[in-house]
Amino acid sequence: MKDQNAIAMAAIYAFLAIAAAFFAIPLIIMLLTSFKTAEEVREGSIFFLPESWSLAAWGKAWGEACIGRVCEGIGGNFWNSVLITVLATSISLLLASLNGFALAQWRLRMSGPILGMLLIGAFIPYQIMIYPLVRLFATGGMHQTLGAIVTVHVLFGLPILTLIFRNFYIGLPEELIKAARVDGAGFFQIYGMIIVPMSVNVFLVAAILSITGVWNDYLLGLIFAGPNFQPMTVSLQNLVGTQMGLPEYNVNMAATILTALPPLAVYLLSGKYFVRGVTAGAVKG
Amino acid sequence: MTRVEIDGVERAYGAVKVLKGIHLDIEPGEFVVLLGPSGCGKSTLLASIAGLDPVQGGEIRFDGRDVARDEPSDREIGMVFQSYALYPTMTVRKNMSFALRVAGMAKPEIDERVNWAAGVLQIEPLLERKPAALSGGQRQRVAIGRALVRKAKVFLFDEPLSNLDAKLRGEMRAEIKALHEKLQTTFIYVTHDQIEAMTLATRIAVMSGGEIQQFGTPDEIYRFPQTRFVADFIGAPSMNFVDAVLRVEGGRASLEMGQVRVELDDYAFAAPPRDGQPVIFGTRPERITLQGDPSPGAIPARVTGVEPMGADTLVWLDTDGHRWSARVSPEEANALGREVHARPDPQGISLFEPESERRL
Ligand SMILES: Nc1ncnc2c1ncn2[C@@H]1O[C@H](COP(=O)(O)OP(=O)(O)OP(=O)(O)O)[C@@H](O)[C@H]1O
Ligand SMILES: [Mg+2]
Repeated sequence: MKDQNAIAMAAIYAFLAIAAAFFAIPLIIMLLTSFKTAEEVREGSIFFLPESWSLAAWGKAWGEACIGRVCEGIGGNFWNSVLITVLATSISLLLASLNGFALAQWRLRMSGPILGMLLIGAFIPYQIMIYPLVRLFATGGMHQTLGAIVTVHVLFGLPILTLIFRNFYIGLPEELIKAARVDGAGFFQIYGMIIVPMSVNVFLVAAILSITGVWNDYLLGLIFAGPNFQPMTVSLQNLVGTQMGLPEYNVNMAATILTALPPLAVYLLSGKYFVRGVTAGAVKG
Repeated sequence: MTRVEIDGVERAYGAVKVLKGIHLDIEPGEFVVLLGPSGCGKSTLLASIAGLDPVQGGEIRFDGRDVARDEPSDREIGMVFQSYALYPTMTVRKNMSFALRVAGMAKPEIDERVNWAAGVLQIEPLLERKPAALSGGQRQRVAIGRALVRKAKVFLFDEPLSNLDAKLRGEMRAEIKALHEKLQTTFIYVTHDQIEAMTLATRIAVMSGGEIQQFGTPDEIYRFPQTRFVADFIGAPSMNFVDAVLRVEGGRASLEMGQVRVELDDYAFAAPPRDGQPVIFGTRPERITLQGDPSPGAIPARVTGVEPMGADTLVWLDTDGHRWSARVSPEEANALGREVHARPDPQGISLFEPESERRL
């Protein structure tokens, strides 16, 4: 019996290791390549370790790589992405949690229909709204501005984030809000002093979703951000897609990893909270 | 001490009328218990008094001032919920001071009030704990403390003890009673537990289907139920009923049940009895004596079950198709055969008019 168990466990671990390797191989190759020099990339196989580990490609990708005629790398766009992500995420979280709370606990007359519209909003492809939005921003004179790109991200993020908050808040006991009302607290006091402290985990989950969504976006950034606030994903595509002369694979790989690093870091650092947040709704406290 | 007058309060959810014009006049400092079966509208009435649920008609007056449209916080009430509803992220101290902080009270006064309430409820050692680290009884004490610090004029309780185990419930019941005696504030308390209602209340309002059936002292409610519903609802096991006919001969009223006649010389009729009038006769289990031999005024019955309860014994009877119960001493129960005669105590009779089911 024991032996059988051990064999079964070994098989499971072997399968998991193979699966993990399968998904990790592209990342490993990217990492290896990014530490090679330009000659080594041209000559060696992609599976070999770098002969001399070099950070040159990373430095170039960050500050010197040429996109078209401008040779400033994608470092500046990193900060654009940070700015867009921070603004869009904080605004969406605030609005979504307020909406979710109001929908779940404040007896609104229209909460049913509003919820239905949110569901539709969460599931229709956002591409079909791009053209009307472009026209709208152009008319309002804010096409291709920071305001435009943040607004678009907030708009498209709100439905799903609101649903996440609403589903958590619907599980809170109604009597909690009643008690707070008897205690004399108004909507915003109840929200700020009681609801927000209770929903830290949900905020983390929603923040993770929002940060990765906004950071990884390409299409919206391309259309709405404009040249001054071009996010990192757009510049990465420009760097990798339109190269003059020989392609510099090591620089491209370094730039790609740089771009992918923030969402990766968010997952790794918050993994525990992510799981905790997902299960929080299931455990009644 | 506040007088609470509830005057024709109505509440409906769509077409369903949950409160059908409730009238209650609660004296200052009273301990009123709203008692009734599940779904009869007790919580809705309490929420209306608190201002958590809008009323659609009628007035609610605190000391003559109509508060029916005021916010809960403007009514100077304290409320304790069945689920305690403590704020989980705050310590006990923060929970208790929440209302005062929201009202912008100065810190020294907040501390003074919280310490006073904690002293009254003996929860000083718990002040820095979070609700999750408290037992059910302790949580309920904190919930009461939260109402206490506000020096509310009216205390509202919605089934505060129903989440506690039997022993703790008994203890907390005594504590709530002691608290009322100490504070002398008006208490309104919802429960569907009869024992709680009987032991705590100065007056009980028995509710059913969105209406008040009877409002009176526990003794009145128990001994002189005004409707058949109240007679049936109060008491465990409930009152025994049987259809009968009134006879009035030479100014003396008596009751005819088949062959049996029961004299009604001591019964206080609300209206003069008519000869031949059909009635529902009711008597409580402890107002029945069982005997082996027939005698005038004793109803023949067959014993269907015997339940010893320790102090007394419950004997289940079949009286010509009616299921009755009698509460007798264990010795009497042991002496019984299968066929017995149940003799109702003339002092413990209730009569109801069959149509309206109101007391005669
Ligand atoms: N939001 C609502 N919508 C529709 N009907 C409701 C709503 N809230 C309560 N009711 C109905 O109103 C009636 C009274 O409810 P209430 O909560 O006052 O009963 P209760 O006497 O407190 O019962 P319990 O002892 O079970 O707590 C019930 O029949 C219930 O179904
Ligand atoms: Mg209730």
